[in-house]
Amino acid sequence: MHQLGLMIDMNKCIGCKTCVVACRNHHGIVDHENCMPGEIPFYIRVESLTEGTYPLVSEHCWVVPCQHCKNAQCVKACASEAIVKDPQTGIVRIDADKCAGSKACIEACPYNVIQFDAVRNKAHKCDLCHDRVVAGEIPVCAEVCMTDAISFGEVEMLRQTALDQGREIDRKKSAMSIVYLKPTPKNTLAGV
Amino acid sequence: MVQDGWHPTVCYQCKAECAILAKVQDGRVTEVKGNPKYGGKACVKGMAGVTLQYAKDRLTKPLKRVGERGEGRFEEISWNEAFDIIEEKLRSLYDRGEGHKLTYSFFPHSLTDPKWHFLNAYGGYINTGLPHCDSGKIVSEIKCWGGIPNHHIPPAWFTMPKDGIILLVGRHAFGCLDDACVPRDIMEAMDRGAKLIVVDPIFSPDAAKADWWIPIRPSGDTALFLGMIHHIIENDLYDKKFVEEWVREGDFDKVKAHVKDMTPEAMSAICDVPADDIRRLAVMCAEAPAVGVDGFKSIMLGQALDFGHAWSIFLAITGNLDNPGGQPIPELTPLSPVEPQPPGPPPLNEMGFHRTGPNRDAFRNYSFIMEPTWYEAQAIKDGSLKILLVTEANPALTEMGSKEWQKAVCMKDANGEYMLEFLLNTDIMLSETAKYADLVLPDQTHFERYELLYMPWWYNFGHGVLLRQPLVKAPGEAMHSNLVFIEIGKRMFPEYFQFKDDVEYYDIQLKGLGLSVEKLKAMGGKWSPGTMGFRKYRDGGFGTPSGTVHLYWEDLEEVGQQLPRAILAPEYDADVEEYPFIMISYRRIHINGTGPWSSNNAQLRDPASGQSTNPAILNPAAAAKLGIGDGDTVTIKSRTGELRMPVRLTEHIRPDCVGIMHGFGATVGRVAAGAGHCDNELIPDAGSHLEWQDLIGGEAHVSTRVRITR
Ligand code: SF4
Ligand code: SF4
Ligand code: SF4
Repeated sequence: MHQLGLMIDMNKCIGCKTCVVACRNHHGIVDHENCMPGEIPFYIRVESLTEGTYPLVSEHCWVVPCQHCKNAQCVKACASEAIVKDPQTGIVRIDADKCAGSKACIEACPYNVIQFDAVRNKAHKCDLCHDRVVAGEIPVCAEVCMTDAISFGEVEMLRQTALDQGREIDRKKSAMSIVYLKPTPKNTLAGV
Repeated sequence: MVQDGWHPTVCYQCKAECAILAKVQDGRVTEVKGNPKYGGKACVKGMAGVTLQYAKDRLTKPLKRVGERGEGRFEEISWNEAFDIIEEKLRSLYDRGEGHKLTYSFFPHSLTDPKWHFLNAYGGYINTGLPHCDSGKIVSEIKCWGGIPNHHIPPAWFTMPKDGIILLVGRHAFGCLDDACVPRDIMEAMDRGAKLIVVDPIFSPDAAKADWWIPIRPSGDTALFLGMIHHIIENDLYDKKFVEEWVREGDFDKVKAHVKDMTPEAMSAICDVPADDIRRLAVMCAEAPAVGVDGFKSIMLGQALDFGHAWSIFLAITGNLDNPGGQPIPELTPLSPVEPQPPGPPPLNEMGFHRTGPNRDAFRNYSFIMEPTWYEAQAIKDGSLKILLVTEANPALTEMGSKEWQKAVCMKDANGEYMLEFLLNTDIMLSETAKYADLVLPDQTHFERYELLYMPWWYNFGHGVLLRQPLVKAPGEAMHSNLVFIEIGKRMFPEYFQFKDDVEYYDIQLKGLGLSVEKLKAMGGKWSPGTMGFRKYRDGGFGTPSGTVHLYWEDLEEVGQQLPRAILAPEYDADVEEYPFIMISYRRIHINGTGPWSSNNAQLRDPASGQSTNPAILNPAAAAKLGIGDGDTVTIKSRTGELRMPVRLTEHIRPDCVGIMHGFGATVGRVAAGAGHCDNELIPDAGSHLEWQDLIGGEAHVSTRVRITR
């Protein structure tokens, strides 16, 4: 398997959500005329964690797209065989034509990243910008990220880069195809 | 309008106006991204511009008020009728010889804005249409080193050397008001070894990345800088060479004498930063190869002119002017004037500060170049503001004292006529301000109009100009406000409006660069040699009368502001017992500016991609003492207002503060209406509390003392 993936540098993500909107635009999943807050699908989300107490406090943000898992639970759960892991790229894709709208994948996904289009009765999600990457471009989120917190490549290479930079990989966040770089401590001059 | 594909243009989802590429497909904008020829980043608001473009709330026809002001009842009229109404109203005031009683609130895209040309012909004033401007910084820079008056020029962070210091003071640089490239540039400087230090009562996203978060008492920033200046001078840590060569003779000694007793201990008592920390920061800055300071907005710490002055002195004595990583001093891009040039209104200070009514005398040293919006309510009552034109601004919601503004625009004289004779609003959607307008004109978005943009703060990337160009057709009869005022200009002042349209107007200005709109378009919409030029003063001195840096301001001796005062803003110091908390009005990247283009955008108000509402943020330790739990609804009361709103408990704020995010509280707009609470409800209004205003710098207060009860 030649697995493609993303690497998220938690030293850099500022939680701005630019990637969320750019991804939506590119994939045409916003009904701009009618959309209302809370009702717009998203393929990538921002999470954050605050630690410590005032004034020795720290906070980190990261993004969660589809993890393009090795043994993808969504693939297993789909009775219609609409979800496949592409052997060339490792990208987990949903074939809309085959999707019967059972929502079994949504239940099964441990990362909670699959969206449901009630109008079309289809599940949909991050496809690692398959149409772009096969044409030699990088995924939209990696391109627009305000701080270059997201990089793209073969997962093996991404992991190597992380090691070369002396960074630690956060394996709890994902053991799949998204590589999370643990943040180095911040606010270290406070309380010196 | 244009071929399918990516086109260079300029964002206007906020005042940063970043260079973007927009993708057009079948006559629709579908995507946005940063333009790699100019930094290459755009923010979440920029991306959400697509949603704004196609929002159902877009205005498509001129609207004339049918009910009373504030009711928001309108009927559609034709453009001809609209033009006739505007012309008649404007002529009536002008013919009475009272052109100076007109104010236009708009964002001036530097001198290139044709609306400004109109205003100069008419003799009215401009205010920047910004809720809380950085006039204190502008005034100090002009006074100290003759900097070019412009909005805000942060250090060009990409020039910050290894081991340099990035000092953000009450400044939310990751909120993108300078440019969407700023967060990336700061991170890259940090990768090179620069340190990020954030001075702010709130743990902002910037603070989350910082090497040091200094949670200062609001308004303590002047004292912090004065304490550092004391330490640097007393310990001979200042840049002697720069001071000897470039600071006006005698000024340094005056500063030295002034700060003599402003020890870190004494200043600590004011700003609540430990004295050791003040010393440590002072030494770090003095030893660093460069220090860049950015302040001004996001969280306004008060006493802006004193702060700007202290900060300017600090930069000068540490030798951080016009050096890589330090404070840039821009040069002007050589554009050509549009001749004949209209004379413009009499200088504000010659008019005896006509906007301050009974406080006229107190404001006689007022020295800002544009008129702040918060005078408006006062000026209407005083009879010195008769016509108000508003474009790309929303004073009814975003200004401190917005309630007083709403009241003032509805006031009538003995004959039952509105005291403000005419209120025009041009915008792309109905806003809170539109509800009060006599006429609302449908404006065009940044995807639909031409604009020549020459913004000094793009000095970040070297001086230059950018072209905003129409990529798609505007809905209905929407017309850009520039074209509206070119038309009115032609009707009223044909001698000054001898050009065909906006494009020809820009063509004239571009002659200075040997360009035209067409040529600029063919070049990809950008002209800039990419040079900043460091230490340019070595060639021609500074822009002050003496050519050197003026640390001492003799013209302000009379008001005791010849050197910065180590005080908190008076309203923060008063009634501490009764109002123990300081309410801080803060901003985040999603809702920057509270025009409908940002507050009424579904993507920017979506929980996954924006900010859906604005609970008050409170430190858990403070909340525990009051018996308040996370999510509880509380009453927050100031001297002039009251809010019932939910709280969110977080370690991200000082225990003596409560934070409310700005940009909420609208009653119009499919998305904006009813979401969140308006911080301005609590802020002392301009009509009744001018005595707390900074009488020189003209800074509006955006924070105040409050009491919190369950
Ligand atoms: S890889 Fe593409 S589809 Fe997936 S989150 Fe990023 S932009 Fe969206
Ligand atoms: S654009 Fe980048 S910095 Fe912003 S939320 Fe997404 S990953 Fe984080
Ligand atoms: S900061 Fe964002 S909204 Fe503002 S101009 Fe830049 S891209 Fe547009």
